[in-house]
Order: sequence, then C-alpha cells, then structure tokens
Amino acid sequence: MTLLSRVATDVGGTFTDLVYFEADSDTGRQTIRTAKSDTTPPDFERGILDVLDKAGIALPDLRFFTHGTTLVINALTERKGVMTGLITSSGFRDILEIGRGNRPAFFDAHYRKPPPFVPRGLRREIGGRMTYRGEETAPLDLAPLGAILADFRAAGVGAIAVCLLHAYANPAHERATLAAIKAAWPEVPVVGSHQITREWREYERTNTTVLSAYVQPIAERYLDRLEASLAGRGFGGQIYIMQSNCGVDSLAATKAIPITMVESGPASGVWAAAELGRGLGIGNVLALDIGGTTAKCALIEGGRVQIKTDYWIERSRTSAGYPIMVPVVDIVEIGNGGGSIAWVDDFAKLHVGPQSAGAMPGPAAYGRGGHEATTTDANLALGRINPDYFCGGDMVADMAAVGGALDRVAARIGVPAMAAARGIVRIANNNMINALKMVSINRGHDPRDFTLVAFGGGGGMHAAALAAELGVRHVIIPRGAAVFSAWGMMMSDLRRDYFVTRLIEQADGDPAPLLAALVNEVEAQATAQYGAEGVAAGAVRFQRLVKCRYQNQEHTVEVELPAGAIDAEAVAALAGEFHRVYEREYTYRLAAPMEIVGLHLVAAAEIGKLGFPPLSATGAPLESARKGRRSVDFAQEGVHDSDIYDADRLEPGMAFPGPAVIEESGTTIVVHPGQHAHIDGFGHVHIEVPQ
Amino acid sequence: MSDPFTLDVIQQALSAIAEEMFVVIKRTAMSPIIYEVLDVGTGITDAEGNMVSSGAGIPGFVGVLDKCVQALRQRIPPDSIRPGDIYITNDPYTGGVTHLNDAVLAMPVFAGGTLVAWVANIGHWSDIGGSVPGSMAVDARDIWAEGLRLPPIKLIDAGVANEPVLAILAANSRLPDFLRGDLWSAVASLRKGNERIIRLVETYGHADFTAAITDYFDYAERHARAGLARLPKGRFPLAETMDDGTQWHAVIEITDEHFTVDVREAPDQVALPFNTSRDGALIAAQLIFKMATAPDTVCNAGSYRPLRFLTRPGSIFDATEPAPHGYYSEIRIRLADMLWHRLAEAAPEMFPAGHFASICGTVIAGRHPHTGRRFTMVEPQMGGWGATATRDGNSAMYSSNHGETFNCPVEIAEARYGFTYRRYAFNDEPGGEGLHSGGPGIAIEYAIGGGETTLSAGYTRNKAPVWGLAGGAPGTTNRIEVDRIGGDHERHAFVSGLKLAPGDVVRILTARGGGWGKAG
Repeated sequence: MTLLSRVATDVGGTFTDLVYFEADSDTGRQTIRTAKSDTTPPDFERGILDVLDKAGIALPDLRFFTHGTTLVINALTERKGVMTGLITSSGFRDILEIGRGNRPAFFDAHYRKPPPFVPRGLRREIGGRMTYRGEETAPLDLAPLGAILADFRAAGVGAIAVCLLHAYANPAHERATLAAIKAAWPEVPVVGSHQITREWREYERTNTTVLSAYVQPIAERYLDRLEASLAGRGFGGQIYIMQSNCGVDSLAATKAIPITMVESGPASGVWAAAELGRGLGIGNVLALDIGGTTAKCALIEGGRVQIKTDYWIERSRTSAGYPIMVPVVDIVEIGNGGGSIAWVDDFAKLHVGPQSAGAMPGPAAYGRGGHEATTTDANLALGRINPDYFCGGDMVADMAAVGGALDRVAARIGVPAMAAARGIVRIANNNMINALKMVSINRGHDPRDFTLVAFGGGGGMHAAALAAELGVRHVIIPRGAAVFSAWGMMMSDLRRDYFVTRLIEQADGDPAPLLAALVNEVEAQATAQYGAEGVAAGAVRFQRLVKCRYQNQEHTVEVELPAGAIDAEAVAALAGEFHRVYEREYTYRLAAPMEIVGLHLVAAAEIGKLGFPPLSATGAPLESARKGRRSVDFAQEGVHDSDIYDADRLEPGMAFPGPAVIEESGTTIVVHPGQHAHIDGFGHVHIEVPQ
Repeated sequence: MSDPFTLDVIQQALSAIAEEMFVVIKRTAMSPIIYEVLDVGTGITDAEGNMVSSGAGIPGFVGVLDKCVQALRQRIPPDSIRPGDIYITNDPYTGGVTHLNDAVLAMPVFAGGTLVAWVANIGHWSDIGGSVPGSMAVDARDIWAEGLRLPPIKLIDAGVANEPVLAILAANSRLPDFLRGDLWSAVASLRKGNERIIRLVETYGHADFTAAITDYFDYAERHARAGLARLPKGRFPLAETMDDGTQWHAVIEITDEHFTVDVREAPDQVALPFNTSRDGALIAAQLIFKMATAPDTVCNAGSYRPLRFLTRPGSIFDATEPAPHGYYSEIRIRLADMLWHRLAEAAPEMFPAGHFASICGTVIAGRHPHTGRRFTMVEPQMGGWGATATRDGNSAMYSSNHGETFNCPVEIAEARYGFTYRRYAFNDEPGGEGLHSGGPGIAIEYAIGGGETTLSAGYTRNKAPVWGLAGGAPGTTNRIEVDRIGGDHERHAFVSGLKLAPGDVVRILTARGGGWGKAG
C-alpha cells in the first residue's frame, strides 16, 4: 500500500488550522481531517505541534508539510521587526523617506506622511554608479563601509539592507557590497535589492529590501524552530512555505527572502479557487473570500491567477502606505466581513465597516457585550442565518442584543429596524460589489464572463446576491467553504515569479536576439536555482510573459510569448497579440511602435498533484437533507418562505430551487428566489443565477 | 420617495465610475505628466453641469470640470448634442478654465433618449504649440503666444472622429504622438464612463438616478455647513507681498451662513502669463474652503454651496482677453496660500504653518542621447510642509494643489531623459524652527545628457520665505539653479527656453515648511 499524505498548517492571529489529506493508491480510499487549536505566540511552533497532535498526525509517515503564516505581515504592521540599517548609492539615502511625494487625502492639511522603517541616521551611502543600461560609470567605493558598519554595530542594528541605483540592471556593486559586509560582520543578516527583485523604481525597491531585512531575523528564527520541532518528532519529508504568488517555496529560499510570504494567506484561497475551476473545466473565475473582518477578491482568467509586483501595505484613502515589490497575487481587500460594524454618520448616512467587532466582543449576537450591529446581526434578524444553529450550534444567538443593536441604527436613520437590517446587507453587498468590480471591470474584464467562487465563513451568505447584481450567471460555494483556503496550500506547485526590467528600444536594433537573450538568461537562472535545491531541469515549466507598452508609455501589459524559438516571427506575433490585448483592455490601439520593457517569467515545478476528493452519493432522497422551512428576508426580493437544507446531508446530484438556505457548521448559503442550486460530484454547491 | 439605501448605492456607483475613468487615463496616457504626475482629473456632472463626483490626482482638478461643462452648455445649441459626441476645449476664455495646456474633453450621457449627465476629463498636454517647447513661455504677452486655442468644438461627432480637427491638433504640437496618445486615452476614459452611467440609469431608473444626485448634493452641503460652524466668524482682511514686490489684498468673511472670499482689490491683469480666469481663481477658494470645512468626505457641487467668491473683471483673478495664462497655477496657489495663512492666523490650532506653496513647474525639452528621440519632461516639484500644533511638518511632498501626484523615479528618469542624477535628497538648509519644526524640501541635481535641450521653470515663493505660525520661525524659499559646464553659476525662478548643454547641472532646491510655536 502506498499512502500519499500531506498536511497543511496555517498560523493565523487567533487560531492555527490544519487540513490533512491522505489517499491510498491501492484502494483509492481518501481521508480528510481538519483541526484547529490556539495560536501560541511567541512560540508558534508549540501551537503547530498541538494541532498536529489534535489531528493525530504521525509525522514520520508524512512526506509533505506545507505551512502558511501571518508572521511577516504581523511583524510589519505591528512594527516588531529588528532595527535595520540601509546602505544606498551616494546622494540617494533620503529616497526611502521622500517616497513618491503623494498625498491621497488631498484636502487634509493634517495628512501625515508614513514614517520610514529606517531613520535617517541609519541610512548611509557608498560611492559607485551604474546606468540604466547596466554600465558602470563610477567604480564602487567601499572605503566608507568600515565606519558605517561600526556605527551600525554601535546602534544595535540587527539586519542590513543594501539598495544601489540601477542594481536591477547590473547587480555587481550590490554583490560586492554584500560580500564585503559578510566578510566584515559575518553574523549580521544582510540582503541586497537584486536578490529580491530585478525591477526598476528605486523607492519601491529600497523599501522592499528594507522591509525584508526588517523581518528576516524573526522569520529565520521562526522557520528554524519549526524545522527543529518537526525533525524532533521524526519528520523526514519536505517542508514547503506558502508564498504570496500562489506557489510554495522551500524553507531555505524563504528564510533568505521572507518578505515573499507577506500575503500568503489570501494567496492560498485564490489558488484553491483556481484549482477548483480547473478541475471543473472553468477557466474564468472570480474568487471571493469573505471572513470576519475583510473580504478579498481576485480574478482568474483562463485558469491563471494574476501576479503583480505593485503591492502596498497600509495604503488607503488616508495613507500613502509602503510598497513591497514582490510577486503577489492581484487581490483587492476591503474592510467588510461578517463582523463589520454598521454605523451612521453625523448626516444620517449608513456605513458598514471597515471597523470590525472581531472575536471579542464580536457581533451583538455573541452576547458578549457587543452593542453595535454587524453584518452577521443583520443576517440573523433577516432569518438568513438560523438563530438556533448559530456558529454550527456552538452558540446561542442573543437575539435580544441583536434587536437592540439594530434599533439603535434604525433610530438614527429614521427607518424601522428590519429596514435597517436590509440596508446593512445591501450596503455590505454594495461594498463587495465595488471590490469585485475593481478586480474585473477596472482591469478590463466583464464579470458576466466569469464564475463566482465564494468561500470563507461569509462567502455563501452574500455570493448569490452579488452575482445577480454583477450579471454573473454561475456561483460555486465549495464544500467546506469555511476552511477552503487551506486546500490551496496543499494544491500549490513550487512556483517562482521572476520580474526583470530590461528596456529593449527601437534604437537597440532587432529586438528578437535581445529578447531571446533575456528569456534564456532568466530561464537559466531559474533552472540553476531549482537545480541547487534538487529539482531537475526537466521538471520545471516556464511561462514567459513579456512586458510591453507603446513607445513613450509607462505602464505595460503582459503578453504571453509561447515556448519555442524567439525570432522575428515570434516578435511579430507578440506585437500582434499586444495590440489585441491592449485594445481589449483600453478600447483603442495606436499606430505607435511597441516597446519591450522586461520579462515576467513564471517557473513552476509540480510536487505531486492533489485534486479535490470526490463525494460519494448514497442515493438518499432530497427530503432527507431538508431540515424544515422558515421565513427568510432576502433584502431586495423581500420575505419568502424558504426550504432549509443540512449541508452535511446534501449529496451529488441533488438539486432544488430557491428560495432556500443551506446550513453548514461554518457557513450559511443563501439561494435567492428564482435561482437554482445543485450539488456536484465533489459536494460543491452550484447556484444558477438567471439574468 | 426612493429608499435611502438605493440612493446610496447609486451614489457609490457614481463615485466608482469617476474613479474608473481616472484609472483608464492613468493606465493609457502617453505623457508622464499625466500617468505619473497624475496632472489629470475626471468627473461626472448632472445634466446641468453640476459636479456629482470626481476622480482626480489633484484637488485643483476636482473643481474644474463642472465649470467647463457649464461653459460648453452655454455655447453649444442643445439640439446639436447627440449620443456619442465628444467635445474638446482648452481655452480659458470660452470653455477651459486653466491654461491652454489643459485639454478638457466632455461627453453627454444619454439614457433612453434623455441627456442625463456629462462625463468629462482634463489633462495637461505636454505641448500645444506656442513660442517655447512645453507651451509655457514666461514672456508671453498675450494668449496667442501660448499655443493653439480650442473653443468648445466637436472632436467626435456621434461616434465618428472629426479628422480635420485631429489633423490641426497634431500639426500644432511639437509632440504630436504624445498628443494623439493622450487624446485617445481621454476618449477611452469618457466612453467607459458613458457606458457605466447608461447601465446605472437602466438598472435603477431615471427618477432614482436624479433623486440620488439631489440627495448627494444635500449630503455634501450638510458636511460643509457642519464644518463652517466650527470656523471662527468675522471679517479677516489680508495682504501679502509677492516675489515681484506687488501687494495683493483680499478679504475672507465668515458668517454662520456663508464663507465669502472677496478678491476685488487684486492687482490689474498683466501682459505676462501671470493671470487666471475667474473660474481658475475660484478653484483656490474652493480648495481652501473644502480643506477648512470637510477635508475627508465626498466632494460635489453641494460641498461649495456656502461659498461666495467676488472678483473684479480685468484683475489677475478674473482676466479678460487677451491676457495670457501660462502660469495661472502659480497665481492660483499664491491665492490659496494667502487665504490659508489668514485662516491659520485666526485659528492656529486648526491649521498647519505654511508649506513651500509653489507648483515649481519644471519643463525640460531635449533629445535623448541614446535613442535620439525628442522628449519633454514636465513636472512639479515636492517641497517641505509646515509644522502643526502637535507635530513637525511633513518632508518633501507635492503642494496643496496636488494630491495623488507621484514623482518620477530616478531610474526611470535617467532612462527616459538621459539625465544623470547626482543627488535626490532633503534640502538640509536651516529654517522653520519652532516648538515643532517645518519639514525639509528637496535638493535634486542632475546633469543633462543630450543636445538641443531647453529649460523652462516657474517657481514662486522665491524671495519671501514660507510663513511660520504661532511664533514658529519662517521656512525657506524655492529656486532652480544651473551650474554651467564652463563653471558659471545661475539662479532662476521664472525662465523659459533657457538653453542647456550636455554636462550642465540643474539643481532644484525647494523650501522648508514653517515652524509652529516658539522653540522651547
């Protein structure tokens, strides 16, 4: 008997989650286990071992251990990294603090510029200069380095970032500087910008390098302890770490550049949605993850997730935020989840979020002293959530508290309480619709061409209404929607996204050999890097995305370059595709020449495919899954008597019309009047939305 | 009556549409001044031209487009306006608001055969002819010297481009490719907005659409009035001496009902590009009023209902033909800064001390040393901001007239213009001391790479330093310097068509912000 087994653990702020999957290759029998235990800062590995024990996982039998953590993003937002020193090219140390000069809250005279992660005294300069074409115009001058390092030591610096001008084009000076630092001070963690990104824009690259250095010692310590703890329990398999680009990466690579973990949580959910679509033959997916505090959405086109390097933390209407130029799945996140608080401003307008009641006190319905109405409370009042099966029956909903909270909101707007509840749901839905439009319409895609895959605790509650509004015809709520994100971690490939800026201009002559050289160079680098980790060259798959623009433009579009020879014909085909992609997105094309600005190379290697496990049918009638009927308020469509189904008793092949509600321990799925639901062979709920 | 939540959904959608129009331009424009500096604005007005929502990179462009649509409606016979039409204008005397570089495009939105709204956008075109590259000559004596004037005309007639007009536009620019790219980017943005609004009206009906707009205006007005109630009341006369020695006078009068800005005593207009149209000056008053009353909420026609603005035709704030307007934005920001100063003196806890308060517009045109292609760099500069009652001032940000304006990265500028940057740093000169200190401006130095290069610049706040507040020390001043390869050293504030040779070094120095309170 061969047992394929893998486990994914996800360390969140409150809980550490586990999903375990095993498949017996002889019998085809599959086992899935999930478990949850408390997160145990600062000794996070203790919580991980706890959850492994709880699930009864025998580590010596396990081959794959995939891990996701919010450690990096938490260290950044809570400012818990180490004191970091920065070395820049001479004349440019203030770049980090100047930033881009923008002020999003532009009528606010009291706007506060985000302070840099390295104060001016720890920003130092060395001589030497490259051009944008990678030519050296002044040799590297490391003479000041001794004094700089002495000052850094005296100040208690715990990590060093090096970012020199045009290092993306030629990293020689950065490499020499790193080597000199390592020779002089071997124990200090140090990172150069070229190790993280080969794209231009010095502020973004400098800030990224600084933030990576800032969290590096913490992440390394964490991953070391995780590795040791697992080894101590006899684990001899591979450890993979979830990344922000929807892939996983090795422990060693992650320790060196931990900043790539920054958005790993949302990435695994998006990847799971993409995999679900691929398994069902659906390429175009809008992924929507609604949790307690936020909703996140992403667009998947032709089975492909969109990976970008234009990622910022703490960026909002009131702050310029901080850029992190690493490959991150293109998501839009808004402060709108089940726990989002409804509030009325001084001018009688209702708002929902971004403040959340969190777990404590939580929604009014928790009965823990929460006085403010949340989206969850509104859903309870409207009968969409069953008060007698609240949180899977673990909790008795405090409906008196819900009524009180809604009355207070209603009184401020001057409407009845139920109207306020409907208003809360509609405003919350509208916020999410705007987020979904931002990833679809604002990027040149029509949501009507997509299937909405909604998950997280709140996905099923809102998805069908959002679909109707956006013109989406097909909604899927995956089985186990509340823990769906963890699946993505077990399904991810090893994946690295290489972004390299290289201007190939008309003046440079025939672009084909230059492009071929660029592609070969980056593919060779990827192959070598994987090779050093024991991944054979033949196992690595490439996707070549060329960044193109019209001459003189700045922003680029990615155009796929098929595998094969890169000759004049291939470049002409690329240009044709560029015009087509550009026109689709922006409605016009120009007679101007196309210019190549760089390459986005995806290098992926499979580490054993895992699909969604099929669900077997016993042939039980639909009746056996029906729990009863109750009156449900659908907000816009009014109040309807609705069938209530038990998700655990639904089987493949079952189908029924809305109005209906499906209740599962972690989530509730609302099927609106006129819509139809059916269960597929995997236990996923499909909702057809008539237009 | 429509239910309040439906109205809210429509309002949110209108705001999202203006934002979407903005994103389209940002991603497709040809000129860095548009896609990087975001010297561009998008807006939706109601059928009468009242601003409903806007997406803008800069506050100065939030309040422009309604004025253009209103001017256009006065000049275009209503029955000639058809679905698919797009109008263009840049002329401050007939339809534009600002200067000839700012092209406004506007499109009527028809739903069910009725004109329900307008979508419009404005963007700074890098070159529209005139006597110098970049079209902003400091010695222009009249508006004809500043380039091609476009009264409101049909650029696109029921969906069909007016090719002769396009040909005239291209023939009158030193950068016709950029002009075409920026123009089509603006058209794409309008068409997107048009399509979205039609869908919105079809979804909710014309009655709810109109009701949502009316309610939106009232909501913004309530915000403004709540802010007005918090301001000190009274009559606040003000006077300030400018770099050229002239004195400007104005009066702010604040009552429970109105916020009146009276600039009738302003100097007479001049035969130099230092004038603005009335609407251009009005934007300064709107900016300060908005900042003082409701800085962090929606902005539409309702926001400005309590504002009154009094001008005198023939003055620099209400110029009449043929006065030139090239540097109108410096006139506008001087007015805004003056008003801000007076309000801050009246309520020092509510406002920061002065900031560098100039666009510091810098235009360099030349030929790229590697590609041989012509380029025109048009960019504002960052500077220091003033301290507040509670903290030091911000370092290096764009002026109050800017907002989501981004600097051009050194690595991109070197590739695009062939410059070699020596320094991109804080300007460490002393100034702005106080209980809380003003933030530093910038010190940027680059050597010119290619030939046929000229510099134009317009920096105010060059002689009188930035004002401190509540006993804080004044900040410093703005200037631009040139170190000639031969060893000569020049200092400038306003200059155009200045020839630069490869190896000449341009140095930009902007002011430190004012201090707040006496230094302990």
